[in-house]
Amino acid sequence: MGLLQEAIFGVVTGSYIAIAAIGFTLIYGIVNMINFAYGEYLTLGAFVGFFAASAVPGPLPVAVVAAMIGGGVVSIALARGFFTPINHTGPVPMLLTSIGLGIAIRNAIRLFGGRSARYIETETATFRFDAVPDVPIGSVDLLGGFFVTSEHLTVFGSAVAVFLAVHLLLTRTDVGIAMRAMGDDESLARVRGIDTQLIRDSVWVLAGVLAGLAGVLMAIQTNVSSTTGYSHILQILSAAILGGAGSPYGAIVGAYVIGLALAISTAFLPSSMTGLSSAVAFAILIAVLLVKPSGIAGTEVREA
Amino acid sequence: MSALDRLPSGRGDTALLAGIACLLVGGLFALTPLRAELPSALYVFVEVGITFVIYGMLVLGLDLQYGHTGLVNFGHVVFFAVGAYATAMLAAQDTFSGIGLGYPWPLALLVGVIAAALLGVAVSATSIRLRDDFLAIVTLATAEIFHSIFVNFEGIFGGNVGILGVPRPLAAIVGDADTRMLATLLVLGGFTLITLAAVTRLTDAPYGRVLRAIRADELVTRSVGKSTITYKTQAFVYGAALAGLAGGLFALYNGAVAPGFFTIQVTVTVWIGMLLGGAANHRAVLAGLAIIMGLRLVSRFGLSVTPVSGDVFAAFRLLVVGLILVAVIRFRPAGIWGDPQELGVDQ
Repeated sequence: MGLLQEAIFGVVTGSYIAIAAIGFTLIYGIVNMINFAYGEYLTLGAFVGFFAASAVPGPLPVAVVAAMIGGGVVSIALARGFFTPINHTGPVPMLLTSIGLGIAIRNAIRLFGGRSARYIETETATFRFDAVPDVPIGSVDLLGGFFVTSEHLTVFGSAVAVFLAVHLLLTRTDVGIAMRAMGDDESLARVRGIDTQLIRDSVWVLAGVLAGLAGVLMAIQTNVSSTTGYSHILQILSAAILGGAGSPYGAIVGAYVIGLALAISTAFLPSSMTGLSSAVAFAILIAVLLVKPSGIAGTEVREA
Repeated sequence: MSALDRLPSGRGDTALLAGIACLLVGGLFALTPLRAELPSALYVFVEVGITFVIYGMLVLGLDLQYGHTGLVNFGHVVFFAVGAYATAMLAAQDTFSGIGLGYPWPLALLVGVIAAALLGVAVSATSIRLRDDFLAIVTLATAEIFHSIFVNFEGIFGGNVGILGVPRPLAAIVGDADTRMLATLLVLGGFTLITLAAVTRLTDAPYGRVLRAIRADELVTRSVGKSTITYKTQAFVYGAALAGLAGGLFALYNGAVAPGFFTIQVTVTVWIGMLLGGAANHRAVLAGLAIIMGLRLVSRFGLSVTPVSGDVFAAFRLLVVGLILVAVIRFRPAGIWGDPQELGVDQ
């Protein structure tokens, strides 16, 4: 397979990671916590989508909307139950709580859903482009024939729609502007009369909706199991930190960098070592924290 | 006053004496024809007990890092794994997969500790200045990277099979299984108790006061002329080296290492044990760990009397473990025996 094909896979992976990373980084910026249970929100979204798709044999968008609503409801419920009561304790207890909650939810899903993977049936059209010439360099082919499926286009299109929607929300609506104000300085925002708890709740709902969407897109691409979301949480996290924690625009760039790096490392690694491609994401993360810990968008994360 | 507070605490001397006594009795079993017989009902207790004393070394090192210095290391298992792999690869003879060099085991154990300490130096050199939660993420990522390296470089680390044929010094001199298990428990328990004595000495000394000062307020500590980065690095490396020692001993007890022994589950278990007992209190973290490991016993017995499959039961146990972590942080942030004021979690 040519590098071009791997790059297409990378863009698709980057797209759903980007959707999730925006939600993740908004929680980070406004609630000031690293939510390690976020992967489970994706899994729950994927399950809601799966059951919606199999219960109502309607068109796929119905399942996607159901997953988004489900994600939002789950997110606000978990936030009200677990995170809002300990909001004052600081980032570390909240991170630890989210780790514990993540383990609990993941295993609850395993308990009720079993370990087997489920698949969402979709009709896929494949567009092939075989006429592209091969440009081999060593064992790696730089161009080569490639294909794009309608699923790929759906994922990429949804991602672009999300980027636009989030951009408009953050720049054109009162609630979005209040979110950005809170991300900059919570006390100042409160002084200006912003209901910080309401804004925090809206961020939880928004992040949950995005997680539900990312989860169901992931499910269409791969499968639905209790580890669907968890297996991506470190990539989402890397993308968010790479982009500069708290910045949605940085997270989008970070997600595509991570997605492409994963896909291209798959092309270059020997086939027995493709498992290493996940380590590549973390290596990028550590390298970023070493060289420019503020990330692409420039938020300081060092103390001394 | 809890029962634990009434135990004698002569600056860890009691622990040192108890540790030496354990080693001596263990050695007595190992070196003399003295034989022990365990009722078969006790087997499972001894087995979990051995895991407990090995994890005990992990929790003591982690407590030095988090409880005393405030370093949020959420990849503690990586130092355990590196210590175990280094020891195993140096000492293994005729391993089925991966590298086995066949050096004498004491040398291998020493190299295991040094390897873990060096990784600790590397991680702290790059990441110790990061904010707490980002340090947690970097250490977690480090653990994941090493896990996938161990799985993927089959020629070196043996892939999912791991390294087999690691010499088991105790098994080599003790023939029958009962005596061997008891001797192992005593010897490893002795090591853990001596570790407890050592870290108690360290944290009771003025040195430990500086560590706790860093946890309470790093800026103030720096303003009185302490190089906080140096202290933090040292505490991090001590914890890493202890985990390496635990890993090396684990490899020499188990006779094999594989990626399956070193999952994030180990980190989570040790963390919950520490938080449940009460960070910054050495005996409390061991007690907390004992409670969590006790859950394993419950689930083992529960598994044999309930009609559900092992997988369902494992999922249920982890569900409970996760909720315990959430509940401890919410309702008892200082743990059962911890000092809320010292930990700065006064509500």
